[in-house]
Amino acid sequence: MIEFKNVCASYDVEVPILKDVSFTINDGDFLAVVGTNGAGKSTTMRLVNGLLKPTAGEVLIDGVPTTQLKTSELARKVGFLFQNPDRQICCNTVREELMFGFKALGEEGSQAQARVDALIERFGFDPQAEPFLLNRGTRQLLALASIIALEPPVVVLDEPTTGLDFRECSKVMDIIAEMNARGTTVIMVCHDMEVVADYAKRVIAMTAGQVVADGPTFEVLRNRDVLARTHLLAPQIVDISLCLADECEPLRNTAVARANTLNEMTEAMTAAAQGEGSR
Amino acid sequence: MNGFLEYVPGDSFLHRMNPVAKLAAAFILVIACFATSNFVVLALVLVLDAVLAAQCKMVPQALGLAKAVAAFSLLLALIALLFTPRGDVLVQLPWGYIGTESVVAAVLVIVRLVACAVPLFLVFYVTKLNDMANAMVKQLRVPYKYAFAFTSTVRFIPVFMNDMVGIMEAQTARGVEFDGGLAKRIRLMVPLCVPLLVSSVRKTNSAAIAAEVRGFHLRTRQSGFKEYPFATRDYLALAASVVILVLAIVF
Repeated sequence: MIEFKNVCASYDVEVPILKDVSFTINDGDFLAVVGTNGAGKSTTMRLVNGLLKPTAGEVLIDGVPTTQLKTSELARKVGFLFQNPDRQICCNTVREELMFGFKALGEEGSQAQARVDALIERFGFDPQAEPFLLNRGTRQLLALASIIALEPPVVVLDEPTTGLDFRECSKVMDIIAEMNARGTTVIMVCHDMEVVADYAKRVIAMTAGQVVADGPTFEVLRNRDVLARTHLLAPQIVDISLCLADECEPLRNTAVARANTLNEMTEAMTAAAQGEGSR
Repeated sequence: MNGFLEYVPGDSFLHRMNPVAKLAAAFILVIACFATSNFVVLALVLVLDAVLAAQCKMVPQALGLAKAVAAFSLLLALIALLFTPRGDVLVQLPWGYIGTESVVAAVLVIVRLVACAVPLFLVFYVTKLNDMANAMVKQLRVPYKYAFAFTSTVRFIPVFMNDMVGIMEAQTARGVEFDGGLAKRIRLMVPLCVPLLVSSVRKTNSAAIAAEVRGFHLRTRQSGFKEYPFATRDYLALAASVVILVLAIVF
């Protein structure tokens, strides 16, 4: 469990970035942190894995403040996927890259080798390929694989789908969703509300270093006030259903006005059409 | 808060000087610092450094730089101390001795480097890189591509420093512990030069393509709109620098 208790943080004493932020992330959560650039999302992520220490308040990982944990201890508990995989990749082959985390933690035994072999097979990597010559999507997958190789209970993802095409984005997110289904806590910063709607179970919306909404994904994404304050656009289906609820009186209290996903909208529209037809 | 070598706006004497004149004056002061072993002349340069820093409202930055240069020059001072056997013997060494003049030589190294570094850094902080490049092209007839290469090099320093911090953070997040002795830190940082080099090459390549598509090759000495004429203050500053240089050579 991760707890933020009245956390303030800044890079420069004169410019506070986070202002009295409090929330709890339970084990197994799939949390998306959303908001405009400069809202404090990435700062929040950096606090989770101890790259940044709070100037006030505390961040607790399983009840222990990050200020009391060593880097290696935090790396075991929290994996961090950076937005730019090229900052993370530093080895000459894919295999070495996947082993890097184990080496850093001094765990290069047969168990580590077996885990790396399994990942190479699962992701379909060429183990001898040179990482920097891979395409952007594959480099992002490699960076993700080298993080999940260590099987941390918490994974933090800073805009994991930036620069990826739809197929690569789906592949990355499906792997993350699979990890979450197996119990890994996922915390993700994301600007793509479609991805948030498709995968996240809970959303924290931030603006100007403060949390303005925290709740189940569609509860937050259907809140017009929150969307306006955080300058976010609702996912398309949600937006359509909200517009229909506002503009079309007969649909206001139907399932169409409550649909969040394509399936829900299709079913609601079909039901509405059939109801209209039977009249 | 300004980054490394990032322009600090202002209206000081140094800000208003012609970029070429201030660069020339700074280089003359550097030569003066290396031409003299006289502490009075070096003290004069240090006083001038302090006055200029105060005028530019950059005393904290200048002090920070002086500390960093002093720390760096400690190594050179140590070498001077151990390998300049002059004056009365203070400590006997297997290969010579540390004398009274050895101590003076060591202190001289530190004072000299601090005195000559401050004006150069002040010039970079109070001059927009574009102005410096354009003035070099207009006044010194430096081909634009060389001036561009110079400004790009300076401009990329903070970018690469930022990249290195990001790369180190990414590895820290994977369990690499950079805290520890200098030798351990260097050993851990060497592999990180690979991603830094890759990102540098990618950025440089992108910048080159961006410059090409914006007609870089069409640019001539006449292309710049802004003129950089010399004013009285520029001649005065150059004259003052030359006087210090003469004092440094004579004494």
